[in-house]
Formats: sequence, C-alpha cells, structure tokens
Amino acid sequence: MSTTEERIAAQKRLRAARAGTDTIDERLGSSKFLTSVLDKIFPDHWSFMVGEIAMDSLIVLIITGIYLALFYVPSSKEVVYAPTSGHVYIPLVGQKMSEAYQSVINISFNVRFGLIMRQAHHWAALIFLAAVFFHMARIFFTGAFRKPREINWIIGLLLWQIVALEGFTGYSLPDDLLSGTGLRVIYSIVESIPFVGTWLVYALWGGRFPGTSLIPRLFVVHEFLFPLLIIGLLTAHLMILWHQKHTDFPGPGKTETNIRGSRIWPQYALKAGGLMMLVSSVIFLLAGFVQINPVWIYGPYQPYTVSAGAQPDWYLGWQDGAVRLWPHWEFRSFGHEIANPFFPGLLLPGILLGVMFAWPWIDKKIYKDYRAHNLLDRPRDKPFRTGVGAAAVTLFSLLTMASGTDIIANNLHVSYEAIVVALDYLVIIGPIVAFIIAYKACQRLQEVDFHPIQRPVGGVIYRTRDGGYHTVGDVHHGPAHDVPAETPTDKRGSGDDGVEHGSEKSVPAPTAGD
Amino acid sequence: MTDTLDEKQTPFARNPRHFGIDPDEPWPDDVPMDQDDTRWRYQGDPKGAKKAERRIAAAWTVTLLASIGLAAVYVDGANTQLAGLCWGLAFGGLGVGLILWARDLLPGHDVIASRGHHNVSSEADRIAVAESLGRGLDPIARRPFLIKMLGAVGGVFGLAIAFPIASLGPRPHRNLYQTAWGKGVRAVTQDGTPIRPSELPVNGILTVFPETNPADALSPTLLINLGDADYETPPQRVGWNIPIDGKTGIVAISKICTHAGCPASLYNVVTHQLVCPCHYSTFDVLRLSEPIFGPASRGLPQLPIAVDAQGFIVAQADYSRAGGGPVGPGFWNRG
Amino acid sequence: MIMRIIKKLRSNRLLIGPAVLFGVALVAFSVLSLTQSTARAQQTLVSTNPNDIAAGAVLYSEHCQSCHGYQGEGGVVSGAPSLVDKGAAAADFYLTTGRMPLNAANNEALRHHSIFTSAQIRQLVAYINALPQITGKGGSGPTIPTVQPLCQNQGTLAGQSEKGCVTLSEGQQLFSINCAECHQAAGSGNILSNGNVVPSLDNASLTQVAEAPLVGPKPMPIFTELTNAQISAIAQYVTYLHHASNPGGFAIGRIGPVAEGFVAILGGFCLLWFAARMIGNRG
Repeated sequence: MSTTEERIAAQKRLRAARAGTDTIDERLGSSKFLTSVLDKIFPDHWSFMVGEIAMDSLIVLIITGIYLALFYVPSSKEVVYAPTSGHVYIPLVGQKMSEAYQSVINISFNVRFGLIMRQAHHWAALIFLAAVFFHMARIFFTGAFRKPREINWIIGLLLWQIVALEGFTGYSLPDDLLSGTGLRVIYSIVESIPFVGTWLVYALWGGRFPGTSLIPRLFVVHEFLFPLLIIGLLTAHLMILWHQKHTDFPGPGKTETNIRGSRIWPQYALKAGGLMMLVSSVIFLLAGFVQINPVWIYGPYQPYTVSAGAQPDWYLGWQDGAVRLWPHWEFRSFGHEIANPFFPGLLLPGILLGVMFAWPWIDKKIYKDYRAHNLLDRPRDKPFRTGVGAAAVTLFSLLTMASGTDIIANNLHVSYEAIVVALDYLVIIGPIVAFIIAYKACQRLQEVDFHPIQRPVGGVIYRTRDGGYHTVGDVHHGPAHDVPAETPTDKRGSGDDGVEHGSEKSVPAPTAGD
Repeated sequence: MTDTLDEKQTPFARNPRHFGIDPDEPWPDDVPMDQDDTRWRYQGDPKGAKKAERRIAAAWTVTLLASIGLAAVYVDGANTQLAGLCWGLAFGGLGVGLILWARDLLPGHDVIASRGHHNVSSEADRIAVAESLGRGLDPIARRPFLIKMLGAVGGVFGLAIAFPIASLGPRPHRNLYQTAWGKGVRAVTQDGTPIRPSELPVNGILTVFPETNPADALSPTLLINLGDADYETPPQRVGWNIPIDGKTGIVAISKICTHAGCPASLYNVVTHQLVCPCHYSTFDVLRLSEPIFGPASRGLPQLPIAVDAQGFIVAQADYSRAGGGPVGPGFWNRG
Repeated sequence: MIMRIIKKLRSNRLLIGPAVLFGVALVAFSVLSLTQSTARAQQTLVSTNPNDIAAGAVLYSEHCQSCHGYQGEGGVVSGAPSLVDKGAAAADFYLTTGRMPLNAANNEALRHHSIFTSAQIRQLVAYINALPQITGKGGSGPTIPTVQPLCQNQGTLAGQSEKGCVTLSEGQQLFSINCAECHQAAGSGNILSNGNVVPSLDNASLTQVAEAPLVGPKPMPIFTELTNAQISAIAQYVTYLHHASNPGGFAIGRIGPVAEGFVAILGGFCLLWFAARMIGNRG
C-alpha cells in the first residue's frame, strides 16, 4: 500500500472515529474526559498487575456465580434424594438432605458444565484472595498507603474482610458436612461475644443451633449484601486510584510530579484484557483438572457427624489456626462467662486488623513524614516498616499453617500435640526473628546498593516543556523545597524528602528515534 | 496565615511540601520534550512484524480450535476435564495473542506525562468550600437546644428503626440450657432402634439420640463402654453409669464439644480420650472428660443413664450442672 | 519439522509455558480414568482342616509365641494380649494387613507388608480360631465376616430396603456417623491423640474393612453392635471410595481445603504471578 493510500485510509478512520466521539460528545460533552481516559498512563511494573489479577478473578466469580445462582435452591427444607432421571449419585440415594444440598448435587452431576462452573467459581475465590494478600503486601512494603492514598488502604482492608466473608458464606451454601462444621464454629464464636452473643446468634440463625433460616439468609448475604458492598467499595477503590493516579518506583526520568508507563489506549487496554483472559484461563484449567470441594463425598450436614480434616478455605486458615493454638483460657465469674472462642476468634483478629487499619498513621508517626508521595519506597528504604511487614507475613503464614495441625502431624509422623506446642512457640518467636532478619537485610542492602535518589549520575541531559534543562538523575528542587532531618531509625536515605529525583542508572528518558 | 502554625497542630492545614510543590505554584511540566509514543517494537522491521503477527495468529488459532472443541465437548457428554482444557486453551490463546499484539505491534509504550495537577485545591477554593459549609453550620449552631434534642431524638429513633431486626429470631431462650433428654427418655441409634447394655462391647462407642426428639442438635450423646477402667466418680455423679459385671461399664458423654460445638467423637481406646477434630481438644473420659490438651476449658458433660423395665438404656434426667452441663460451647449467661 | 518446532519453542520464552502446560494437561487427562466398583459379595471361610491347624501351630510357635505365650495364653509381654478368645476375624485382620508380627510390643501396630503368604495366613487363622477348643478356655471371638453384595436396584428409592444386599447409601451414612470423624470423609486418614495414627483406608480390602470394626484394633474402638448388613454396607462403601471416579479432576488426595489451598497458591496464583512478570517490567 502506498503512503498516499495509507494516508487516505487513516483519514477515513479518523473521520469515522470522530463521528463516534462527536455523537457521544453532543450528549455528554465528553471529549475532554475521553481524551484523558485514552491518554492516561499506567506504570508498567509487574507487581502493579496483582490487584488487576484480583479484579479479574472477581469478574469470573460474578459471571460463574450468576450462572450457579440460576440452578441453586436456597432452601433448608428437607427432601429425600431420589432422582428419577439424569445422573444419579448412588451413595446419596434415599438420604435426607436440604434442598440446597440437593441442588448442588444436581449442578455437579446433572447440569452440563455445571461442575466446571462450580469448580471455577471456587478456584476463582481461592486465587482472588491469594492475589489480595499479595497485593496488600506489595502496597505495604512499598509504602503506597501513604498520603494521599490512606483512604484506598482503608477501603482495601475492608474489601479483604468482606471478600473473605463472602467466600465463607459462599462455600457454606451447599450445606455439606465440611462447611456446616465451619458454620457451627462461627455460631460458637459469635455466641461467645460478651453480653450480646446469644442475642446475635438467635437473631442471625433464627434460634438455637442449627436454627431455621440459615441457608436462605446466607444466600441473601452472599448474593446481595456482600456483592453490593464489594462492588461499591471496589468502584470507590478504582475511582480513587484513577483520580490520584498510580504510584511508581523511583527510576529514570520519574519524579513526584510526572508518571511514566504505557498509554491506556491501545497498550494497557489490550494488556489488561489479555491478563483477564489469562486469569480466566488459569481458573478454568484448574476447574477442569483439579477437583475442589467434592460435596458429594462429605455428605449433607448433620450436627452429630464430622469429618477429620475439618478446615476452612485457606484464606480463613489464619483464624482457624489462631483458634487451634490459643491456650484454653476462659473467664468465669458471677454467673457470667467469656468463652474461649471469643479471644482468638474476634479479639485477636480485631487487634491485628486494628493495627493494619491504623498503619498509615502509625507509619507517619514513626517516620515523621506527613507529606504526600507519588513515588514508592523500595522495601529496603524503610527497614522498620519492612521488618514489621515481614513479621506480619510470618505471623499470618504460621497461623495459616496452624489450621492444618492434624494434616501436618499425620504427614510428618509426629504427634499433633508436638506440632501445636511447636507452633505455639513459633508464632511468638517467628515474627520477632523475621523482623530482625528483614531489618538487618534492609540495612545491609542499603549499604551495598546505590539508592536511586542518592547518587546523581550526570551525562544525559533532557529538556522539559517548561524550558528547563535537566540531567537524568539530577536533583530537581521545587520552589518550597526543604530537606527534613533524618529519623534515627533509618540511617541511610529515607528515600522520601518531598523532592523529585531521577535514577542514578544511566538509562536515559525516552527520546525520539530510540 | 497557616504558615506560622506548626504542621502537626493543624493537620488540615495546607502542607507546603505537598509533593514538594507549593499548591499555589504551577505544576511543573517535567516531561521530556521529544518523546514519541507512536513507536512500536517492530517499527522498521517488517520481517519481525510479520513473525509477530504469525505468533499472534497461532495463539488465536488455538482459541478458535478450542472454542469449536468446546461445542463438541458440550454435545458429547460435557466431560469436565475436556471442558476445562478447551476453556483454558481458548482463554489462554486469546490472552496471549492480545498481550503479544500490544507488546510487539502497537504503540504507546514507555511514555512520560505530567501527573497534571496537585490534587489539592487552591487556598481560595478551600476557603470557598468552608464558607459554603459555614452558610449552614453557623445558623444551625445558633440553636443548641435543637441540636441536643436532635441528638437525643435521633438516638431513640435509631433504636426504633432497628426494631424489625428483632424479628429475625427469638430471644435467647431457656432451650440454651436444655436438651431433649429427660427422665425415662430412651436412647436410640440413628435409625431409631433402642439399645441394650449387652449390645455395646467393651471399648465400644455409639452415638445415640433421645427417642422423643432425635433431631435436637445439642442432644447427640456418646455411649462408651469403659469396661473395667477406673472411672473417677464424684459424689454427685454416683449411679450415672450402667455397671457391667460390677465394673464401670457404660457411661454417657455429650458428643457436642464444649469449645466450639463440633462433635468430639474421635475415641482413642488406648488412652480413653475423646478428641475433637475441629481444633483438637483432647478430653480424658476417665477424669470427668476434662480437657487435657487444646483450647477447650470445660469437660464434656455426662448424662445420667439407667436401664428401664424392658432392658433398654434410658436417661435418668437431662444434662445438668452437676454433670458439667449445660451442653455445648460457652456463652455470657452460662452461669 | 519437529526440530524446527522444538527450536521455536526453545527460542520463544512466551510459548514454552503454554506448551509445557498443554503437555502436562494432555498427560494428566489421559491418566484419569473411570472404573466401576466391585459390587459382589465376599466370603472368606475359616479353615477347620486339622492339617492347617497343625501347620498354624508351628508357625505360631515360631513367630508369635514369644509375645503372646504358649497356645495364645498371653501374660508373657505386657501389651501383648491373650489370643484365646480373639477369634478368626482378629487374626485374619492383623495378619493380612501386616500389623502382626510386631517387632516390639510397644510399637504401634500399623499397616505393613505381610511377611506371610496367604496360605500361611490361612493356617495361622485356623489355629487361632481353634484355640478355644485346644485350650478349653474362653469363648470364640468374631469370625471372618461375610460381606453382603450391593443391591442391584440401589439407585432407586425402592431399592434401598431390599433384603440380602446392602446399598452404598446406607454405607455412606454409617461411615459418616461412625468412621468419618477419625478416618476422614474420604478415608484418607488422620491423627488421634498421643501420636496414635488413624490410617488411610486406601489400601484396605473389602474383608479388612468389614473385620476392623469387629476387631477394634487399638486405638480404634469396637463396633460389634453393628449388624452384618451394616458392616457390609460400610465395607462396600469404602471399597467404592477406592474406585470412585473424581468427576472434577485430580482429587489431590481428597484431603480437603488444605490441599486445595496449596494448589491455588502454588499452582494457580504462581502461574499468574509468572504471567504478570512476563507482561510487566522489572525494576
């Protein structure tokens, strides 16, 4: 094709595009907004995609969830399993079960592609929360929660909690033996709340265990209440991110006031779409090839039966592990009692989460840094915060492992008493050791490595639109610049003194012809 | 005005070091003058571009074949593994193709742009919003009585609105402390058959329910034949077991764990211990089923049992405080 | 042609992953198979042949007497009980699962490769079974149970109450209330207090599963209150579990959420982590 033909074709395309955007503009006045959307830049670091992986899993969850909801029957009514057509799961024939359980058996065996949708839904949930944990850790270790992004940190933590509960209510909907056992434990934990515990459980369950209305209410919570909250919070999360623009690591040509990365259109849109496809691919491969939650083997829930190996899904493992490891304290006096499950089930998570919610402000106090930031820290730049994060990751990992004490003991051929006692000590010692190791490692890395803002590298000059000449890696002073005193905890480079810097690496900012 | 105040004393005051730029100063345009975001990877390399195109086409061919395969899988029995393979390949091919297209053939890489603005309003705008708020707040503040009354009324009204929540369930009930066992209630198995003591062998364990209401969730009870093991019997529990050959014989222990309510029914006949599989509390049956390991802190309650005129095992009474009851996990008013 | 494909795979990092995954998926899928469970009855008769009893006596004196005493009277080593009233089922169970002979009386008796041939086991069982007559003491313990077959119409409601045969459904219910708490809902085993192990049932034969509740091999309790029909139902159900198809794919040991969590994090999320690293930049 000759260049003239190419030019004519390009003009035709431009006219067609213009027709489209003009039509919208005449109704919404949207041209400026759309331009900002199309031109927007997203930084390219791979770790910024993990939040996206979480969102893509959520999309799979919603789509497969709607499909499942069309077949699921949210009813506790007792029926006898005796299908007269389709595939019959013989070991359940003649047994009494709830309609909910029966509908899940029906989905698994009688609905074409029902089982893969069910499994995709469940695998997506597990992957969703893995991505959430990783994303949360990334935000923490890079200091992305600092001003002006504290609100998003709070929203993110709320999302984590609601999503975990959404997962719990979701896998409890089949009313099978394993999830019903989990519900029994939750009943006891809520019942143990001082003063109002028994009122709460009688209200939520509709009476003394097992109550009369749990499955239909779980359905409402899982299909309406929590999804509304999740979608609302996620929308706020993304809108704030969009408005404030994404943070980025310090690097060549990057300052507090600019942003470097790919344009949304066409680069990032296609990459994001491609990532969504890959997330779906992984979820459906797992859904097809690895069995998850075979409720037909567990059987319908009865309050008087239980299966060994009774654990919640992995993302609630830390709470189950805390309950298993907690000493047998109970406080009784004057006819009243604070029962044991209250402490590891509500008090401990409350304290841990309280610290996490408050962290942006704790961080401000520790580093005496009340400024806003668009550039991230590298974990080594903030040894104390990284140490606390390492301790938290260690604590959560140990507690999650503690959820499987029986399985660990069985596979290591050790008594479970030994495992529990060992973990009891490890959850105290482990985080402390992790903190020390991480702290020292950060300090050492700072000694060895050149911080991107510390070592200016001359040689490459570029001219900016406001007329100045700058060297890549040069220290660029703003008009109200002020370098703060270094805090005693971070001897080498706080990495954040409110000024913009480039990197010491000699890779230049992009210029034409590269 | 605000510059004289210490930053920490006025947390809402303007931070002059916001991103290092004073909000009244113009936003720097530190963007390289010459950058070209129309570049793409194989620009000037038509052979490379063609190869890239072929790679993408290959990926999308996988998607095409997998999608057709999916239809065939559905029609032919809808095998889960084949469906997962087809879906996985279809999504995967599509995704790989899109990403390769973006990476190799499309522009928009590696551009620097200004963040645009301070994300903080100018002083004038901040004053304006405070004044707009003040337009309402000032006259409202002139009526302290109304404010106080609104607070009080709002509290009461809030409680009133919450009343429908009370319909969600009954008030905590005496049935928290009771099970369906009582004097003369026969113990039956899962299929409704009553039990004679001779049917339970030494070291045997059996789950039984009250005949009158087998579905009651706190009533499931374990009958354990301890044989001649030395069962510690405090004065208030004398006669609660069914002796066999003058030895301890059969005792009835609640199956509902006192920690979080799971059935604590893993029985170790060597050590005469009941273990709960949820959080691994271990109960020593011979010592009033007191917990010796794990998070439980109260023993499993014991049910007093006897033999009725027809020779079947019956309860003498419901679980009581003397037996370590009420059954199940603890709560505030347990007493 | 194949060399060109291999070269292409080697040189293009992006394609290696999907290619490997596809290969793994292919192999995995071809390995998955569905088989039916055996629904037949199982009857193992105890030999009363005097030759067998005599041979059993010889074997007994060589392998068992040092712990269990002369003619099974016990009292030699603490922990090794008298065998006189234990019965054929106990002997058969302990011997076929290789739990006996035990190296030391204090060891936990776990499933082991049996040192005896099936003929020798038959002889030893005959001898143990004959001990009450030989010694003149003790009643006879449970004999090897006959496992009833599965009902032909067990897929229907009416078929649940047929006589002379058992249903998987009844087996599942009985297994759930009596066995699952220790052995796990799918029979994958677990752990008890004091380091005592609850074995997996994956290797248990139909007869062994029927014998164990009658024998009560410590630390397991005894369940002789169960009828032969109930025991048969449990045995048939456990055998069914061995062969049961896993329509969802790899069962990952049927352990439950712990295994699923591992797969989700180390498998699923790690793959996506890899994908993110391929798409995005480093540093």
